[in-house]
Amino acid sequence: MGILVDRNSRVGIVGITGLDAMAAAKDMLNYGTPVLAGISPGRRGERIQEIPVYDTVRQAVEEQGVNTMLIYAPPAFILDAVQETLASDIKLMVIPTEKVPNQDVLKAIYEIKAVGARMIGPNTIGLIHPLERVKLGAIGGDKVERCFIPGCVGVISRSAGMTAETAHMIKKSGLGVSTAVNIGGDALIGTTPKELLELFERDPQTKAVILFTERNILLEEEVMEFIGQGSFSKPLIAAIAGKHTLHMLKKPWLGYEKIADESADKWSEKLKRLKAAGVHVADKYDDIITILQDLELEESWVV
Amino acid sequence: MARLLENEALRILADNKLPVPRFEYAATPEEAKQAAENLNVPVVIKALVPVANRGKAGAVVFADEPEQAALNTEVLLGSSVQHCLVEKVLICEKLNTDQELFVSITIDHGLQCPVVFASTAGGVDFEEIVSRNPEKIRKVYVDPYKGLPDYVAKETWADLGLKGSVLRDAAMILSKLYNVFGAYDCDLLEVNPLVITKESKICIVSAAMTIDDAALFRHPELNHVLQMGNDYAWRALTSMEKDIVDINETDPYRGKVMCMELGGGDIAFMCGGCGGSLLMLDALLQYGGKPANYLAFDGNPPERKVYGLTKVLLAKPGVRGLFVCANIANDVQVDVVANGIVKALQEAKKSGDFPVVVRLAGVNDEIGREIFNAAGVEYYGEEITMTMAAKRMIERMNQIKAG
Repeated sequence: MGILVDRNSRVGIVGITGLDAMAAAKDMLNYGTPVLAGISPGRRGERIQEIPVYDTVRQAVEEQGVNTMLIYAPPAFILDAVQETLASDIKLMVIPTEKVPNQDVLKAIYEIKAVGARMIGPNTIGLIHPLERVKLGAIGGDKVERCFIPGCVGVISRSAGMTAETAHMIKKSGLGVSTAVNIGGDALIGTTPKELLELFERDPQTKAVILFTERNILLEEEVMEFIGQGSFSKPLIAAIAGKHTLHMLKKPWLGYEKIADESADKWSEKLKRLKAAGVHVADKYDDIITILQDLELEESWVV
Repeated sequence: MARLLENEALRILADNKLPVPRFEYAATPEEAKQAAENLNVPVVIKALVPVANRGKAGAVVFADEPEQAALNTEVLLGSSVQHCLVEKVLICEKLNTDQELFVSITIDHGLQCPVVFASTAGGVDFEEIVSRNPEKIRKVYVDPYKGLPDYVAKETWADLGLKGSVLRDAAMILSKLYNVFGAYDCDLLEVNPLVITKESKICIVSAAMTIDDAALFRHPELNHVLQMGNDYAWRALTSMEKDIVDINETDPYRGKVMCMELGGGDIAFMCGGCGGSLLMLDALLQYGGKPANYLAFDGNPPERKVYGLTKVLLAKPGVRGLFVCANIANDVQVDVVANGIVKALQEAKKSGDFPVVVRLAGVNDEIGREIFNAAGVEYYGEEITMTMAAKRMIERMNQIKAG
């Protein structure tokens, strides 16, 4: 149960010899994540945190059956790492690397979509499935239970830090997390909230989902359309940062952006439409707790 | 977000065989006169600042004679356009305009591909005309691998009604512009206007170019000409923002900072993470507060950085309190942040009548709590939510205002 990862995930880490990757690998292993291989060119035969290192993704797949890839390559090498991962027919990859050039992300997304694979990120702190104790990336650090305990609430967050804080709010409300995914804060991301809602809809463990976004016209439109079609039957709680302030910070510059920018009026109109579509919009972030409690969800996954 | 000044954008376009007017630039009226003499035709003089709508802001003027160019340049130099000081002007040959076109190439974040806008309604009133006449603009989505095929560029202008040699030239220019967009990792390449002259020649009169700063490693040659701006506001940095940038540069990888000064306000604002900080800005406003700035820090800033940031924020006139708040984070060392904040507060002699509310939960929370408590700072860890911290800040501000 949960989405994207479970006990059957066989995780590999591209760039495992880097400092961030090594630190994440240690916490992932301690949590119980099945990390089976690292990939770092020219380093085959070494071990990082007891994890065997290979030169190529193909070797890691052939020798360890890796089916899920965490990619910590530097920005300039992300597109190549994505291509190498796809070439070994791996369908799920998570990319924590920040500052990947837009044109490389566009190409990566294009190739991933062409073969029906999935990319989380870039610029993500990762994802976590507390019930099966699997996490990809630094999410939760070395004190996972401080925020993430098993439960029935899915989390989709634009913000890395607020993924943990949102899980903490769920814990405060007496519930826990099914799967939490930080989709990444960049303008271009591999997997959108709507795509994750499709997965959460089918997941028996998940009974409600919290979506934390920063005011963003496109992601919300897509979610609204999805909900409007009746495609998501579970309660969705939206916490939207910048809903009162982003227009204050954002001043349009050039012609195109003026066309794309939405006025404050349009924005309040959209909030109304979100509410009308049945989304529980948390006016203040704290409202998440009362909304969750009012839903009277039962943690029936408990064995 | 890194922008190029127009002279650099025009130079890049010219290097790529695109038609631009003859131009020079000047930092003094004498240089302007000399430039106009060199060009030896009536000229357009434009403030060289990285902002749009200069025409409407009065930052584009004309001169038929070199003396007039000098006089008009004198007026522009030292003025400011949307908070950007004019230090140089661009001087270009003036064309006999018959029609103005518009081209903008950017990335569509929803469809996740490049998108080209082309219009026959270029010029200063572009937005207005296009919003009233949507048929005057064409939008073309581009396959990131294939690029913009020449025939699509041709179709685009043909659909908009261009004919003859102008159609052929405009199509060629659109294709080349798209190639520049890709080759230079642009976030935005906008040409307005693309002029058709009375002689049926076509020429790029004005260009704006921003480069994806994540891709700058591929363009080291642009390093010295880029104008770095704020991610949110398209204006020059204020002195507070410049000070913050300088402090950030001392430790660029630890506790990365983004700051924006807001007009007026009385609460110095220093919060963690982009999402969390925006949420707290919302919360302060919802409770009736007036933040004096927006500052978001990421990761684990060292003590001297926290100290420097706090000091700059406290120095803004009218600031009467400090709000520090972040989500629970496994990498923020609360004791380190505490030392930085307390040092800055003590140096600025801020005490009981200066409300400070801190909500931080990370590593070494308890040591941090002791440091804050000893300094008389109201500190909370994860025992209260971020929203509650914002509410508490406003209560404290209201107390000092009432008292």
